[in-house]
Amino acid sequence: MKKIFLIMFLFPLVYITAQTGILTGKVINEKGQPVFGASVLIAGTARGASADENGNFEIQNIPGGTYDVQVSAISYEKKTLNNILINESTKAITIILTEALIQTEQIIVSAGKYEQRVQDLTVSTAVLQPEVISKKNHLTFDDLLRYVPGIQMNLEQVSIRGSSGYSKGAGARVLVALNGLPMYSGDNGDIVWEMIPVADIERVEIIKGPASSLYGSTAIGGVINIITKGSVKKPITNFRSYFGAYDKPSYDVWDWSGSYRQFFGAELTHSNSYENLGYTFSIKKFDNDSYRQNDFTKRYLGYVKLNYDLTQENKLTFFANYFSMNRGNFLYWKDSRNVLVPKDEDNGNTVKSNRIFTGLIYHHHFSDELTSEFKTSYYRTKFTGYGLEITTSTADLLRGEALVNYKTSNEFLITGGIELSYANVASNIFKNPTFFGGAGYAQAEYKGIPDLILTAGFRYDYIKLDTTNGKNAVTPRAGLNYKFTNDLILRASVGTGFRAPTPSEVFTSTAVGGGVSVIENPNLTYETSFSFEVGMHYMMKDISLDAAFYQTDYNNFIEPNLTKEGDIQFFNISKARIQGLELVSDWNIIPSMLTFSVGYNYMWSRDIEKNKSMKYRPRNTVYTNLRFTPAQFEFGVDFRYWSRVEEIDFALTEPPLALVVDGEQRVPAYITDLMAGCNFFIMNIPAKVYINAKNIFNYNYVEFIGNLAPIRNYSLSFELFF
Amino acid sequence: MRKLLALISVLGLTVLMISCDKGIEPLEVVGPSAFSGKVTFEGQWPEGIKRTHVVVFKEEIKSVGDFFLPNLSFVVDSIPYGTKEFTYNSLEKPFSTIFKFAPGTYKYVVVAQSKTPVLTFNRADWTVVGVYCESGNQANPKTMIVNPGKTTTDVNITVDFQNPPPQPPM
Repeated sequence: MKKIFLIMFLFPLVYITAQTGILTGKVINEKGQPVFGASVLIAGTARGASADENGNFEIQNIPGGTYDVQVSAISYEKKTLNNILINESTKAITIILTEALIQTEQIIVSAGKYEQRVQDLTVSTAVLQPEVISKKNHLTFDDLLRYVPGIQMNLEQVSIRGSSGYSKGAGARVLVALNGLPMYSGDNGDIVWEMIPVADIERVEIIKGPASSLYGSTAIGGVINIITKGSVKKPITNFRSYFGAYDKPSYDVWDWSGSYRQFFGAELTHSNSYENLGYTFSIKKFDNDSYRQNDFTKRYLGYVKLNYDLTQENKLTFFANYFSMNRGNFLYWKDSRNVLVPKDEDNGNTVKSNRIFTGLIYHHHFSDELTSEFKTSYYRTKFTGYGLEITTSTADLLRGEALVNYKTSNEFLITGGIELSYANVASNIFKNPTFFGGAGYAQAEYKGIPDLILTAGFRYDYIKLDTTNGKNAVTPRAGLNYKFTNDLILRASVGTGFRAPTPSEVFTSTAVGGGVSVIENPNLTYETSFSFEVGMHYMMKDISLDAAFYQTDYNNFIEPNLTKEGDIQFFNISKARIQGLELVSDWNIIPSMLTFSVGYNYMWSRDIEKNKSMKYRPRNTVYTNLRFTPAQFEFGVDFRYWSRVEEIDFALTEPPLALVVDGEQRVPAYITDLMAGCNFFIMNIPAKVYINAKNIFNYNYVEFIGNLAPIRNYSLSFELFF
Repeated sequence: MRKLLALISVLGLTVLMISCDKGIEPLEVVGPSAFSGKVTFEGQWPEGIKRTHVVVFKEEIKSVGDFFLPNLSFVVDSIPYGTKEFTYNSLEKPFSTIFKFAPGTYKYVVVAQSKTPVLTFNRADWTVVGVYCESGNQANPKTMIVNPGKTTTDVNITVDFQNPPPQPPM
């Protein structure tokens, strides 16, 4: 295997020169503002570039000839410039994009591990822009996901279309990746959202549905792939800071502190390039006193990224991310009269954690038909929990992947790759297990029939968790995309998925208070799924509608449950089914000024064996957003609703254990947020100021038992670019 | 366009109205709920009995699994071997503080014995020797209803070692 990696690494160093030209230029909108992140592609080749903060782009080493140039960007209509002549000189062009609500032309890479347009996909997808994070002052990345139709956050645990309930972070069913490199930890497979370098995000791609056939075990519920920005040609420094405070709680009896609890953050990011080396440095500090007692967080994040163009065909990207956190450990409220105060036995418990995540991506462009990538990552996580007993875990996760894309013709594209991963855990609650995984995958895309795209692929995984028997899994999938008319695209996909239990689900052995313990289950086996989706995307000039019906059947679904002895253990539920209908519509009411978006998801989940709903899955969810952008100002209203969840961990809320007093308290959620902002200049330096008021009606709800969601809070954020 | 703006306005007003509800609110403090009674033993105690408990189940026992958590709702402290009459109150004599008793309806209240010195979760270790029942008919368990903040009294059970009740599934 080492030889294969070595060959993949060294083989691309052959470089052939020829007569080439340079295409350079600027992408702006109708207001003359630069369109950051716009994608410029030379049609029929794999050559392209992204526009920088000033809208500038440059594509080098283009073989002489006449080309069509395609330009696309999120929220803009795609534009094609025909017959652009490229010769030995530098060709400079200016491209003006027209704003459009319908977001179908942007490039995404994650769905098939190669560049695809959204309208060519066979599965439901959402693409998010980084501006949303700063405008709405989301304190952490998971806050952003709370506004995406089809995504449900249960505290810090993400669920796409009901894939997960809540298991205290143990065992994610959604793969979160940074530039395609998975960010789950080696011990409990959790995702620490604060680690994501928000300042360097170019876009976020969300695949709503099983993606095990390309991404393996953790992607059984979907994929969230975060793409970082490319290199900049000119130095740019970004400073962003925010300050906010929580309002008083709704009831005086809940006002445990007598003060307005505060949160604060500051982030400095600098990007530049030196010859062929582009670099980005970022440091961030963000603290939160929290509206709850013993729920504080003090966090530091350091991030560095290097993009080195060895040649036009060979590119190297390296990034490293260091995160340190000290926080209170609020598990459950004391009771309904003390919802912002932890149980007496938990008060004062804290957790300290340090994490480092590094990745190296080597990209080689053999030809317009053949490209390859070698990706490797190292993720070290360490935490120490201080409470009645001290809990510790240190995990090292190594991962490597070699990927090849081969286009045999304009009609046929093949993607294939191999993956290896190894984890080593040292812990007093997860034991000291090791983990090994090996996988190979292949997928083909066929475009030979007009208006029709067919995809088919499969993945083979071998996974061995410590002393448990090694397991094999084969996960095939197929999909189609049909452009029925210019306005209507139909899609369908069918596939299987699997998920291996994490070390924490198998080996956790610790007390959780009140005389109850979590105990290990070495017999825990793999869960599998079979799913299908049919969907359509309809576009008119100012309106788009996306509809999807989906169904997933799970076998051996893993969930925590109560044993007959009164302990908590992860079990395999024999069968579970989730069916749903998702509708998303965007309206451009006044072009470039007033937009309205609405998303509705009906989800029927059930444990087939017990004929009950699955835990923490609301049946109805609604998301709406109204945005008004006159001149340099911006105003927005967000509203979210989800119905009261039917099933929760009743074993924890009801006697005889009743660990969480009044824990059965849950309601439908109605959350309304307001945002107002302004873009302006201070001594010719671009600046932004945004004011946010979240949960303006101070509505009291829970995402998980015994945990009141954030009460009304106000924040002011300020951003400078120089 | 006007229709759409009207629709958005209606939606906005709806949001305003439903958001006036405050959602979760503090519940009133309710005093402890409990049950009490007397267990009377008739006949000679069997040899080797190590544990004798009043045990409360939410539902009747239809399978082996129903004999344990979460259907098992409360266990009263162990009754000493050879006792003829045992008076109890769930507040004063819980077997363990892990068990929290809640008001509600309980369809199977029994006296169960075991020959193991520690409390086990193996159905075969336990024998039901008395049932809270109607008119002495142990095949017809009586439902115990405990109201919030109240104590249900006279949950009396007679154990006749010569006339044991029907046994739940083993």
